[in-house]
Amino acid sequence: MFIYEKKLQYPVRIKNPNPALAKFIISQYGGPDGELGASLRYLSQRYAMPYPELKGLLTDIGTEELGHLEMVATIVHQLTRNMTEEEVKRAGLEAYFVDHTAGVYPQFASGTPWTAATFQVKGDVITDLVEDMAAEQKARTTYDNILRLSDDPDVNNVIRFLREREIVHFQRFGEAVELARERLNQKNVYMFNPAFDRKRAVSHT
Amino acid sequence: MHHDHMHHKEPEALPDYKVGRLPRSAPLAVPFVPFQSDNPPQYSPEEGFTRGTIFPGLDLPFHNTVNESNPNAGTLLGEMQSLSFALTDLHLYLDTHPHDHDVIRIFEEYNQRLAQSRKRYVETNGPLTLTDAVQDGKYAWLQDPWPWDYQERTV
Repeated sequence: MFIYEKKLQYPVRIKNPNPALAKFIISQYGGPDGELGASLRYLSQRYAMPYPELKGLLTDIGTEELGHLEMVATIVHQLTRNMTEEEVKRAGLEAYFVDHTAGVYPQFASGTPWTAATFQVKGDVITDLVEDMAAEQKARTTYDNILRLSDDPDVNNVIRFLREREIVHFQRFGEAVELARERLNQKNVYMFNPAFDRKRAVSHT
Repeated sequence: MHHDHMHHKEPEALPDYKVGRLPRSAPLAVPFVPFQSDNPPQYSPEEGFTRGTIFPGLDLPFHNTVNESNPNAGTLLGEMQSLSFALTDLHLYLDTHPHDHDVIRIFEEYNQRLAQSRKRYVETNGPLTLTDAVQDGKYAWLQDPWPWDYQERTV
């Protein structure tokens, strides 16, 4: 189960509200490479993982991503605090505002609602871990792009922290692939899927 | 193995800390990422927290721009967050390096420091989890601020 800790993983303190920045930072809340998809991807994939290191890693990274989800929401919330109708118009935030006022809704920067179609749970150890490595790189690139577009030092301080976490997670997923590979058939890594062909997996290791 | 030192601010006197291990011989058509070496160099919890990792070897900043500080530096909350974050980063490391006894010892040390830091924080600032929700016979859980509230300074 999960329990709530009444703190952020890393502090968010945005001095100057700026709804124009919230328009694209929302993508790391509910966008194609955002933190909601990341947490659900890892927390859903873990059930098919046959090895304890991989069960642990997907649980722990998936849990950390939930903390990142909260941090991104906090950035959006603080960037849009005390907005007037005039500021909504000036920031070009009308489309979002008319649907969600100043609430935080999981959507792409382009306005598409969050969808589970942005990720897979394939139920195959190597396949899922390779997707996870790609996912960390996609999120890293998104944070790079946010750093290119934002000149707010308070926002960028948090974004740099989140971006660095993607690099650490990529390293861990890469190590996870190797931990899985060591247990597979050394002449043909793709001979069976250890998450499904359990009897076969035992006879070949 | 040489690295391009132009692009990274390198802590000194840490040879090979950005170089990991690969299998001597590896099958084709499988992705490989080098294993981080055992007991790798580490930042202090405070510096690691500001930079987003406790491991200098994994610290690869965009446009070589790094955080110099964080908004809670020097506060009780910041101290607790730093220790908690150091444990998180070591936790992920230990998931793939479960037999690294040097890092296990560091984990235990930070965990003890976190317990003390957490106790001080809860006494001063209020509950962190449901087990702290009632304090001195009062339901303290609802007291402001909530983590997402904007605050000019850390209480």
